[in-house]
Amino acid sequence: MQPNGQSTPEILIVDDEEMVVTSIRAFLTLETEFNVHGYMDPEQAVQFMETHPVDVVVSDYLMPKLNGIQFLGKARSLQPEAARVLLTGHADKQSAIQAINEVGLFQYLEKPWDNSQLLLVIQSAIERATLFRTLKEKISELDSAHSSLKDVQSRLLRAFL
Amino acid sequence: MSDPAGASAERELDLTRRKLAEAHKMASLGRLAAGIVHEINTPIGSILSNNETIRRSLNSLRKLLGTAVEQGLPPTPRTLAVLDTLASLTDIDKIACERILGIIRGLKTFARVNESDLQRVNIHEILLNTIKLTNCVFRRRITVVTEFDENLPDVECYPGLLNQVFLNLVVNASQAIEAEGTITIRTRSDGERAHVSVSDTGSGIPEAVRPRIFAAGFTTKPIGEGTGLGLTITREIVEDTHGGKITFETETGVGTTFHLWIPLRQPRSQERP
Repeated sequence: MQPNGQSTPEILIVDDEEMVVTSIRAFLTLETEFNVHGYMDPEQAVQFMETHPVDVVVSDYLMPKLNGIQFLGKARSLQPEAARVLLTGHADKQSAIQAINEVGLFQYLEKPWDNSQLLLVIQSAIERATLFRTLKEKISELDSAHSSLKDVQSRLLRAFL
Repeated sequence: MSDPAGASAERELDLTRRKLAEAHKMASLGRLAAGIVHEINTPIGSILSNNETIRRSLNSLRKLLGTAVEQGLPPTPRTLAVLDTLASLTDIDKIACERILGIIRGLKTFARVNESDLQRVNIHEILLNTIKLTNCVFRRRITVVTEFDENLPDVECYPGLLNQVFLNLVVNASQAIEAEGTITIRTRSDGERAHVSVSDTGSGIPEAVRPRIFAAGFTTKPIGEGTGLGLTITREIVEDTHGGKITFETETGVGTTFHLWIPLRQPRSQERP
């Protein structure tokens, strides 16, 4: 969770290939301070997201049960502020366009991936998620300030009229 | 064949057939290429990532161990945890390399063109190779079940050509299955012949199409997906080249089974020039 930009970023990796999950998790665990969660079953990843806020979701495209776009679509409805990254070995223009249009993708990466590029993408994604959350908090602060101002205004009006 | 002109025409026709079969095999492989690329990209991605991670971690380990040695202290729990992670990455690398090797071996078997000699081969190896390659394309939607007769003797055949027969039948079966389904491959010994069947849980062959499925140029597939030659070439390889038999049974909405009978031994006179 990173509601105030202070706590450890939460990263979710979803790929039906254990080797991909293990490699990325090992890399991020050794090189960063992020909390990394890995799932090989997209449905389990959806269940995880129902109870755990995450900052970045990195998902494969071709998976059984749910493909990457279907999974990221569910991730978007559960946590719109989490940045979505598609990491695919199935590089075709159609899936890229579909992903960008349908699930508001943050980045589209192809396998084989480059660790430094992946890290840069994840860092920018965390920044985006943090900004998104801060913006949401500010909007809600503004909302409550607005309603208390309205409250004061109506009390003032009542007092003078 | 006493007519020399006729014999030469026959030879030319045979050569053309073989060239056509070869071209068709390469076209089938070409269609599998995208799946193969995807299947190789995953292990390559892992190996590259692990290599980078291991390289960087070795540098930090050297520093950590250097400090520990200077201070005369045992390695810290953090150092040991890093070592464990690196060991797990080398395990992944081994699995990834084996995966790539399996695909490359399968491709090599398919790509070999110099198998014009009769050979005694274990037909199950050819079938498993076909499954390995085609799995690259449909692993996530189709389950392949094998029921092999372990006592099936080696079969005298042209392995490259039989490869192509099985590839054609498995690709056809996968295309008949729209979403998810099962392909079952069975083998059994049937007297002096090997019986191989390939069944799918697909849509079945429509009745109107059944009489024409072995005809050259006939296809129901869209342009780019089928040449209309797959089953023609399959029948020629099984019946004309190997003296075997191919039949099929199909039920709309239930699936199709192709049955092949290949003689265990070929008559000497049938050896290719």
